[in-house]
Order: sequence, then C-alpha cells, then structure tokens
Amino acid sequence: MERLAAPRTGNATMRTAVAVVGSLAAFALLLQVAEPQRFAWVQTFFIIFGSLLVQALPFVLIGAFASALIEVFVPIGALERLADLPRPLQLPAAALAGVAMPICECGSVPVARRLATKGLLPSAAVTFMLAAPVVNPVVIASTFVAYRGREAMWTMVAGRFLLGMLVAVVVGWTVGAVSKDGLLKPNPEEDRAHLVELGRPEPRWRRFFLHMGNDFLFMGRYLVLGATFAALVQTFLPASWIAEVAALPVISIVAMMLLASLLSLCSESDAFIAASFVQFGPSPQLAFLVFGPMVDLKLGALYAGTFRRGFLRTVVVAAFATTLVATLWLQVVTG
Amino acid sequence: MSGAVATQTSAPARTDEAPRKRWSPNRLAGAAVLGAWAILFWWLLLTGRENLYLSTRTQWVVPVGATLLTLAAIGRLTTARTIEPEPVRRGEAWIMGAVVVPVVLVMALPPATLGQFSAGKRSGFASAGVATSAGDISSGELTLIDVAAGQTSPEGERALAARAGEQVVFVGVVTRYDDTPADELFLTRYVVTCCVADATIAQVRVVNVTPGTFEPNDWVEVTGAIYPIGREVIVNATQVVGVDRPERPYLTP
Repeated sequence: MERLAAPRTGNATMRTAVAVVGSLAAFALLLQVAEPQRFAWVQTFFIIFGSLLVQALPFVLIGAFASALIEVFVPIGALERLADLPRPLQLPAAALAGVAMPICECGSVPVARRLATKGLLPSAAVTFMLAAPVVNPVVIASTFVAYRGREAMWTMVAGRFLLGMLVAVVVGWTVGAVSKDGLLKPNPEEDRAHLVELGRPEPRWRRFFLHMGNDFLFMGRYLVLGATFAALVQTFLPASWIAEVAALPVISIVAMMLLASLLSLCSESDAFIAASFVQFGPSPQLAFLVFGPMVDLKLGALYAGTFRRGFLRTVVVAAFATTLVATLWLQVVTG
Repeated sequence: MSGAVATQTSAPARTDEAPRKRWSPNRLAGAAVLGAWAILFWWLLLTGRENLYLSTRTQWVVPVGATLLTLAAIGRLTTARTIEPEPVRRGEAWIMGAVVVPVVLVMALPPATLGQFSAGKRSGFASAGVATSAGDISSGELTLIDVAAGQTSPEGERALAARAGEQVVFVGVVTRYDDTPADELFLTRYVVTCCVADATIAQVRVVNVTPGTFEPNDWVEVTGAIYPIGREVIVNATQVVGVDRPERPYLTP
C-alpha cells in the first residue's frame, strides 16, 4: 500500500493502516480493562446500539445486493420508460412499486439511489424510497398483527397503506423535476474513478461485487452514525414524557411523529410500539407509523450522505406537513 | 458502464498489450471491512448471542447476514486485483475503521441484557391481538405476555380477572423503584418484536418477598397466586428463587 501511495495526495499508507488496526485493538483492550458496562446507561446504550446494527445491517446489504443487480443487469435507460406514463401517474406508479420491495427503510435508500442513477425519474425514485418501507406486504402484515382485535384495526392497516402512498407521492412531487446530479451526492468510492475502456470488459460478476461492496460501505458508515444517535435517544428518553401529551389534539400527533423519528425503529416492528401507546388515538398512532419510516435519526444520516444539501429539509417539511394534515383530517372524521 | 473498468489514470489507456493487474488497496480495505462484519455475524450465530439482540422472529437475519457478508467479502476480494489500483484516502481509512468499531464493541463486551435502568423508560407491552392468538387468556398456562396484553383491553382484563387466585410461574428481572416496599419487587421481562430497540415491558408486582434477598437486575423465578386488580397484576409469592439468565432473555409476542 505504501508503495502505491504518495503522501502529498492524502492517501493512506501502510502506517495509516497499522494506526487504524492498532486503534481498534486498543479500543477492544480498553473495553476489557475499563469495563464501561458497569454503568447502567452505558450498558443499555451498547445493547441498543448493537441490536440496531445487527438487525439493520443485513437489510442494508440486501439493499446493496438489489442495487448492484440493478446496476449490472438493468440496461441504461430501461427505467426511463416510466417517463412514458402520463405525468400524473408516474409518482403513484413508483409508490405502488414499493409493494414489491419487502425490505425496511435502510435497504430502500441504496436501491432508490441506484434507480435514479439508472434513469428513473429522480422524484419517482424518492417516492419509491419513501413508500416501500411503509406499504410493503411485510409491514402491512405486521401492522395487522399488532392491531388485531382492536376497534381501529382496519383504520390503522388501510390508513397506513394509503397515507404512506400519499405522503410518498407528495414528497416526490415536492422534490420536482430535479436532475439526478441535482439530487444525488457523488459516491466517493465510484466518483474517484474515471471510466476508461481497457482491454476486455470486466465480467458482470466482478462488477456486481464491486458495486455491492461500494454501496454497502457507503451506506454502512451513515447507518453506524444514525444508530449511535438513535441508541443515545433510546437510552435516555422516557416513554412516559410523550404519554403526557396524549390528550392534546394537534400536539399529540406532532409528539408521536417526533417520537417515531427519535426512536428510529424498523418499519417491520414499529406497529407494536405504536400499539403500546394506548393513551393515543388512531390519528397520532398513524402519524407515528407513516412518518417514522420516512424520517428518523438513522435515515437522516443516510439521506445526508446520499442526497444533496436541502433534500433532508424537503423530505422533513413535506412529509411532516402532509402527515399532519391527513391525520388531523382523520381525527376530525373519526371523532 | 458496460465494458468499462473503474480506474484512476493520468496516462493514456493502452489497449495493445495485456495490462498487468495489481492489488487495489481500496478494494482490499473494503473486503476487510466486509470480512470483519461477516466474522461478527458468524460469531453471533455460533455463540447464540443473537438472542441478546434480536427476537426469535428476526433471528433469521443473522445466518442470512453472515452468508451474504461472507459472499460479499469474498466477492470483493476476487475483484481486488485490477489494472489501475485505487488508493485509500487517509480519511477514508479512518472511516472504514469507524465502521468496524461496532464489531469490536459487540465482540469485546460480556453478554448483557436490558435491566432495571430501562424499565422506567419503556412503554408497557400492549397487543391484545397477539396474546389472544398465542393462547386464550381465559385458559391454559398464563405467560407474562398474556398478562401484559390482558391489561390493555377490557376483554383481556375480564379474562385475566377470571383467573384470580391461580398459580403462576414467571421468570424475569428484579426491578425496584424508589417507592417499592422492602417486601415487594417488580418482576420485569422485556418483550422484543424485532430487535432490542423496540423492547416493551411486561411487568407484575410481586408481594410477600423476603426483604433484602434480591438486588435489582437479578434474574428470579417467582411462583405464586396471581391477582389482577384493574390494570395492575399482583403475584402473591410463595417462592422466589434466583435463576440464571434464560437462554432467550427476551420474550417474542
């Protein structure tokens, strides 16, 4: 590695590699010696942090796997055919496509990124990314199980599907006619490279593994960052604080959206948590179920790493406003 | 991208002779990160520690993750010899190291579960539908999930109340609050649907406990008669014994 790297370019040398590995070893030793888990909050943080990553990481990898398949096997421009649909149908069609993607929100980000680079309308890719974790069959089934036996069961199941579609379409529409370069941050792993024809083309399987690894490494760092924030919040935030605002009509909805964002739960399990807040009515619970899989701490880190500046703000504002208005309307209708 | 090779070059491309392939530091480093995570997932699987992080319904992600990560690491390694090796930027090397920090953290720490600290911060388990499908509350052996779910619906409360006085055996973590009398404790068990981040609590109040025998976070088995009173469930203990942490410390609804 040292031979290849010129120090002036800021490239890592063998010394850097040794320093990184040495730091990790020192960290492991420190954990053994200092026993930070003696402190209850530290232990709780480590457990939640570890569990978030152990659960989410395979889904990011599955997302990277799907993303690499799209990159290598879907011809350039194939997804542009969606643009042939009448304009009012393009975003709903992208949202509906989320039904066929039974993975949680972490996995949908690399897929959406790849879809946009392969020619799908960027706004449609965003709509797909937001809809898939809310409307896919696994999530709808878990919502059904969590609310089975409750009076509001069908309100929650149908409401989650329909409101998830609506919010995803509205956010996609708000993103508008931005180009893929205007939407996506360049991936340093791929952007560093120039594309040059050199001899025989690389076999597809080599390109597949290269893209899969690049996507995983790109998303993985943001997942670690997001899981750190989410675990800190989960360690210290008492659920009872939120329950105190359950009786306030608008505030209760806002509080549940805020809670969903802070907890950063997987969309396949969040219905069980929403159902546990029995003090809240169907509207705040629905807001929790729709807003959470679209905007949360770990997603915020993933969005910040994947999309250009301003995207996160657009998603937060548009998703928040649409969810709030729709759930308030539901609150009025259902009394 | 078809037919293209990712490369960093300042020299003109030469296509008239077979270029020599060398190891790419960037791809090797990426394979090392993937490999480290693969090792963690195999380790979780082989040691059974996945029980400390995931519910039984999501534990499939561990073997799947282990397999996929291993394939991804090997796959990336096979792409690591290339015509124009990409260097690793210094900052990038440290970021890759940071991505491996959770691997070190999980493997270096002793096994642990949520305990007293989280009990006051978690909401109670509530899903009447789950409990009634798992086993009717009004008959059969009562579990802590039945008890917790029975407290969240009027039908559940009635079914639970009808079983007042029956003998139960519950295993859980000792929890005490500031106002808990010395001869009482709360028996807490966490209910996890996917991962520990979504844990809710199932809790009963245990009375008739010998004062000073158990500390918070001790695992105990409580035998006694159950008395549901409104939303509170009391167990009048006839025996409380310390037990080892169960192999599966979290309940799955």
